[in-house]
Amino acid sequence: MIRLNRSSAVTWAIGYVLLGLAALAAFAVPLWYAWNVTIFSGRQEILRDDAQHLTELFNRDGLAGLTAYINARVGMQIAGDRTLLLTDSAYRPLAGNLKAWPQDVPEKPGTQAVMADLAGQPTHTLLVRTTLPGGYHLLVGRDLALFLPLERRFTFGLIAAVTFLFLVGVAGAILIRRELLARVQGIRQTVSAIMQGDLRHRLPIRRTNDELDTLSQTINGMLDHIEHLISGISNVSNSIAHDLRTPLAELRSRLEELALTRPAPAETFAEVDAAVADVDRVIRIFNALLRLAEIDTGARRSGFVRVDAAAVTAEVVEFYEPAAEQKGVAFSFTSNGEAAVAGDPVLLAQAVSNLIDNSLKCVAENGAISVRVGRRADGSVEIAVADDGPGIADADKPKAAERFFRGDRSRGTPGVGLGLSIVDAVAKLHGGALQLLDNHPGLRAQMVLPVGAARTSR
Amino acid sequence: MKILVVEDNARVARFVTQGLREAGHTVDHADNGRDGMFSAASEPYDVIVMDRMLPGNIDGLAIIEALRKAGNRTPILILSALDAVDERIRGLKSGGDDYLTKPFAFGELLARVDALGRRSSGGDTDRALQVGDLRMDLLSRRVTRGARLITLQPREFKLLEYLMRHANQVVTRTMLLEAVWDYNFDPQTNVVDVHISKLRQKIELDTERPLVRTVRNAGYMMCEHDQA
Repeated sequence: MIRLNRSSAVTWAIGYVLLGLAALAAFAVPLWYAWNVTIFSGRQEILRDDAQHLTELFNRDGLAGLTAYINARVGMQIAGDRTLLLTDSAYRPLAGNLKAWPQDVPEKPGTQAVMADLAGQPTHTLLVRTTLPGGYHLLVGRDLALFLPLERRFTFGLIAAVTFLFLVGVAGAILIRRELLARVQGIRQTVSAIMQGDLRHRLPIRRTNDELDTLSQTINGMLDHIEHLISGISNVSNSIAHDLRTPLAELRSRLEELALTRPAPAETFAEVDAAVADVDRVIRIFNALLRLAEIDTGARRSGFVRVDAAAVTAEVVEFYEPAAEQKGVAFSFTSNGEAAVAGDPVLLAQAVSNLIDNSLKCVAENGAISVRVGRRADGSVEIAVADDGPGIADADKPKAAERFFRGDRSRGTPGVGLGLSIVDAVAKLHGGALQLLDNHPGLRAQMVLPVGAARTSR
Repeated sequence: MKILVVEDNARVARFVTQGLREAGHTVDHADNGRDGMFSAASEPYDVIVMDRMLPGNIDGLAIIEALRKAGNRTPILILSALDAVDERIRGLKSGGDDYLTKPFAFGELLARVDALGRRSSGGDTDRALQVGDLRMDLLSRRVTRGARLITLQPREFKLLEYLMRHANQVVTRTMLLEAVWDYNFDPQTNVVDVHISKLRQKIELDTERPLVRTVRNAGYMMCEHDQA
């Protein structure tokens, strides 16, 4: 298991929670500041204005006028909104909604927030005290407790938001981590199974096309390729065992017989010539296999140049023309102009040569072979060799390009069964494909080569 | 010709030296890179046959490079079990003149050695080639047999030119494929033979005594009938 503190999901989740908290703080702190400074000083302003107003009233209308006014206001106002108290110099109440001068009010004038004993219980109050001419004391105040629920709600809201964020973050981290771990675990199990030698396993795909899915699909593609290569290797070893053993066995028996029977010189030389021919056949198979291996490594891609597939094909066609003529085969070539691809001219020539060679071997005398190079609608280049020979049975088509495969219809013709494998490998090296189609009658073998995509993998 | 064979495998060396001697050449043999290098530097040879894998993990290509740096211009035929196209190119780039992959038919080796030896003596600056009464004018690209004008396709011209340049030597099908068509793969059908027979139809007068003769187990040879 991957340990918690190493899990990237948890690290990311913690990061995001912290980021969320920072965003929340960026929102709440200015609000808090605005509340405390602006609104608080605004309230002070109002109280001071009120006190000023009452002082002016006192100056104009005298004690009686102020008392009447205060009483009128106390009677009018909604309880608790404003605290008003007018006392004489000995702090005996004259008017207002307080029974007595609160004890904890400091002597100094101006606004102050104090815990004043209002109506028998200590209350958080904002007060302005003024001393009026004649020793009268005026107290204008406001019960701050009125705002307390609002402030409390704000604080609670803030705490709730922080808690929510934190919980969601933690829960998200746990869920994401569990999800990721489960998928990573799945990948690990598959890969372990593959490492133990079973190449058929594939990573689970969810078809969600997310990043992990895309990665899994790519890895599966790679596994397909590896499996293909490995099975190619084991096929080749099997085929080598079969196809090389046969001529080697023949060779051995030929030589052994020669050593035992010691025939006349003329006969001996004939046998020796036949033995050399056997060896040449083995060498030919080896060369084809080595060429295939060389192509399969993809190393030749580094030597890709701009090649005109039409020109390369035309040359090969010209090369085979006399051979076709000799067999009485109608041999035609058509192309519509240059067909440039990125590729290896030698390998392309060899591939086209193999296709024509195959057709030449298969068609009957007076048959027909037509070679065509053209550009498809999607820009890819198509090199097609079509003949009216026996063709390949539909059931054999998928296997026809496999190494050493020889269909029933090609038995008895010369060849080692590697020609189409080489064409297929060359087409794949160029990012294209070999297609074997029915020509009604005969075979239509075509290489489709993408123009610029010579570097794409299979 | 005087030929140096640098080859460590005793069997292959014996096969090659004996064959070359039977073909009338003087052959020296070195079984390691140091001796080979010494012989090549101290005596004039017409052709050197150099194996690539020599004892002590020495690459024959290194010896060739050293010889070329020392100003030695002897034609060199590289023998190698490395068949990849890139290896071939590397071999020729290092200063080798021809590249033959093991295993090989002796006829192939002999033909190539002859071609290399001839190249060192003759020049490519000829204006015309002549074999018997067959004449090829390289400037006007006219080919005549006696008084008769022969029209050839460009590729046929190239094929004939190669045969004429190597008159009285065996040229193998592989040599023709490489020189005339620039193909270094092996077409499974005997296409080269068909090209030769087509060429013969155009240039031969007398099927009894042809200019281009088939050499069994090797290839073709162009020569005047007087020498036949």
